[in-house]
Order: sequence, then structure tokens, then C-alpha cells
Amino acid sequence: MRTGFAFDLDGTLTREELLPLIARAAGLEEEIALLTRLTIDGTLSFAASFKLRFAILKSVPLAQVQEAAAAAELDPQIAAFVRARPEACRIVTGNIPQWIAPLVERIGCGVHSSEASATETHPTALTRIINKAEAIASMRTEFDRIVAVGEGAGDIAMFDAADISIAYGGVHDPAPALLEVADYVVYESRALCRLLNTLL
Amino acid sequence: MGSRMGLGIPKCLIEVGGRPIIAHLLDRLAEVEDVRIVVGFDAPNVMRRIRDIRRDVTFVVNPSYRMTTTLHSYVMGGAHLRTPALYMDADILFEPSSFRAFLEGAGAAPETPLIAVTEAKTQDCVYAHVDEAMRITGFSREAPGPFEWANLAWLPPGVLEAKPCAVYEQLATRLPLQAREIESYEMDTPEDLEQLIAAYQAIA
Repeated sequence: MRTGFAFDLDGTLTREELLPLIARAAGLEEEIALLTRLTIDGTLSFAASFKLRFAILKSVPLAQVQEAAAAAELDPQIAAFVRARPEACRIVTGNIPQWIAPLVERIGCGVHSSEASATETHPTALTRIINKAEAIASMRTEFDRIVAVGEGAGDIAMFDAADISIAYGGVHDPAPALLEVADYVVYESRALCRLLNTLL
Repeated sequence: MGSRMGLGIPKCLIEVGGRPIIAHLLDRLAEVEDVRIVVGFDAPNVMRRIRDIRRDVTFVVNPSYRMTTTLHSYVMGGAHLRTPALYMDADILFEPSSFRAFLEGAGAAPETPLIAVTEAKTQDCVYAHVDEAMRITGFSREAPGPFEWANLAWLPPGVLEAKPCAVYEQLATRLPLQAREIESYEMDTPEDLEQLIAAYQAIA
């Protein structure tokens, strides 16, 4: 059986949320923090929140955003799991590729993301907000079984679409609504990787 | 779910000696790396309490806990494992040295099932009848005997299947099975809890 692993990026593969990191670099920390909190709690839908965050951050030069995102600390154990089998792993994230390209390169596996048009220096418009369930569906051509790992309310659709879902609370508590649809819940990356290894 | 205890909390969180009973169980499993706990009733609260005790536990969520048996939870806990594992209920106090001896016995023949039996004493016990070689020859709720099923078993993968019956009923399809006596105290009723607390005080 071919098993594929789909990882949320912010707060799962990374030990910190990316957008607050980017916002800090751009001096927009407070505004983005509020949106992030509302999104994690599930008060604001991922799509609505992401549109607002994009509107706030699109004035920030891409190079500045990429530099901030690339500096995000990765969880070493989860990153090692991915790097040991990049062909079986995918990042599934709402972020746009122009923001996270250097970070994705560091992780070393494929990515399903939102999409945006951009000039050489700035993003201009969101052209597609990721539907994480569709991302999982598209992995079905390569894999017989899909394991999803995430922490936020935005991962619910991914969990519903996957065969096995793992709520990860290593960075912050998983969204309460996510616990309703998870098969497993772990709070340490060591426990997560131990579980993932039994699912290979 | 602990409904017969009448306390309104999951049985594993009932305190004995100032700590939830699950904390005593996790003490027994301190050297076991991969500990999985199947949660259902009051899951968020149970997970919060347990991760304060041991953070690297893997929680397995059983959303159908009201409609399924303990056997179903055992199967969920052992899903995807390719190695033998120790299965147990979470409302039991095990005497430490006899628990250690059980684990050593399991480790001596890891591919062979080993079933724990204990001196019959609970209100709602399932008697385990054994032969002279300490092999279980039958389980019964009616015919009394010196031992009861202790709700603790070392089992290779594939032994348990999610069927609408009790764990012991499924084990009964594979008899005879090797047993080992253990000192343990389970609680299904307030009387059992009194007995368990008295045993804890004696052990401690």
C-alpha cells in the first residue's frame, strides 16, 4: 500500500506561525495576531481570514516576506521524517508560493498551496484559496492511503478527506473543532513521528 | 464511562491516593515508549489531565464510544501496530511487582498471548477457569472459580477484531490461552472502589 502524508505548515512543520513572523518583520504584528487568533479558534473562516491577511501583507515586498518565512524554525523530528521520504510527503498550506518558496525548499517535499499573481517584487491578487480537501483528493492519484497532520480549524476539511487524521498539539493546542474529527491526538513531535512510523 | 460509579467523571480520572487512577497506571508504564490511550467520554478533559501527567502519550479518539464495547477500543488502540502490545482497561490498580512480573513473562515469549488473571473479587467479575498448567480453559459470568479476568493482556497483532462482544468473549475463541496471575483491583461499582482504595493503602 502506498501511503502519502499531508502536513499543515504553520504550527505543525514549523514551530511558529508564519504570518505573525512575517507581520513582525513588516511591523503589522498586532493586526495579523488578531486574525490568526480568530482563525485558529474557528471564529473566522480560513478563506475570510486569509483574504484579510493577504490584503494587509501584499504591500510588503516579497523578498522581505520570503526572508522572514525562511527563517521559521522547523520541528527537527517532523522535518527529518519528511526529508527521509520526500516523495511520500506533501505540505498542504493556505500560504501563497511566493511567500514560502525558500522555506519549502528547506523542507524538501512537494506543496499544495493557495495561489496569487505577483510582480517581481509584490503579490498583486489572490487567484485561488486552497481547498485542503481538494488537495487531499489530488493526492489520491499517487497514494492508496492518506494520513493528514494539522492543528487548526482550517485543517478540518483535510481531516475529513484523509483516511487517517492526526491532530498535533506540539506548538499550541489543536483547535477544539479539529478534535471532533481527528483519529489521533498527539502533543509531542516524538509521539507524532512514532505514530507516523507505524503508518508507513 | 463510569456511569455505575455515579460520580459523573470518567473512571480513569477517579482519584486514589490524591492522584487519578490513570496516573498510577502510567507509573506502571513509565518505561514503555509507545503508550496509547483510547478516549471517548469527556475526551478533551481526559486528554488535558493525562498530558499534564505524561505528554508523549498518543491519544486514539473513539467517537462512537457510547455504541461500542471495550473490545472496539482495544482494536482501535492497537490499529496499525505490527508488533505485540499490552492491552488494558484504564480503571484498574495494578500491584507494581506483579505487574512487572507479568511484563517479564510476556517479554519471555513475545509472540505468544499472555492473559492476566487475578483473585476473583469484583462485584461483576468474569471468572477465568485455568488448568494445572495455568492455561485458561474457559470464561464464565456464572460458574465461580478462584480467578477472574484481570482486563490486561499481552497480544500479538491480529488477535483482536472489532466485533460486538466483550474482550473476554473474543479471547474465548482462541482457548486455551496461557494465563499469569497478577494482583489487581478493578472498579465497576462503588464497592469495588472501596476495595481498590483499601488495596492502594496496603500497597502504598
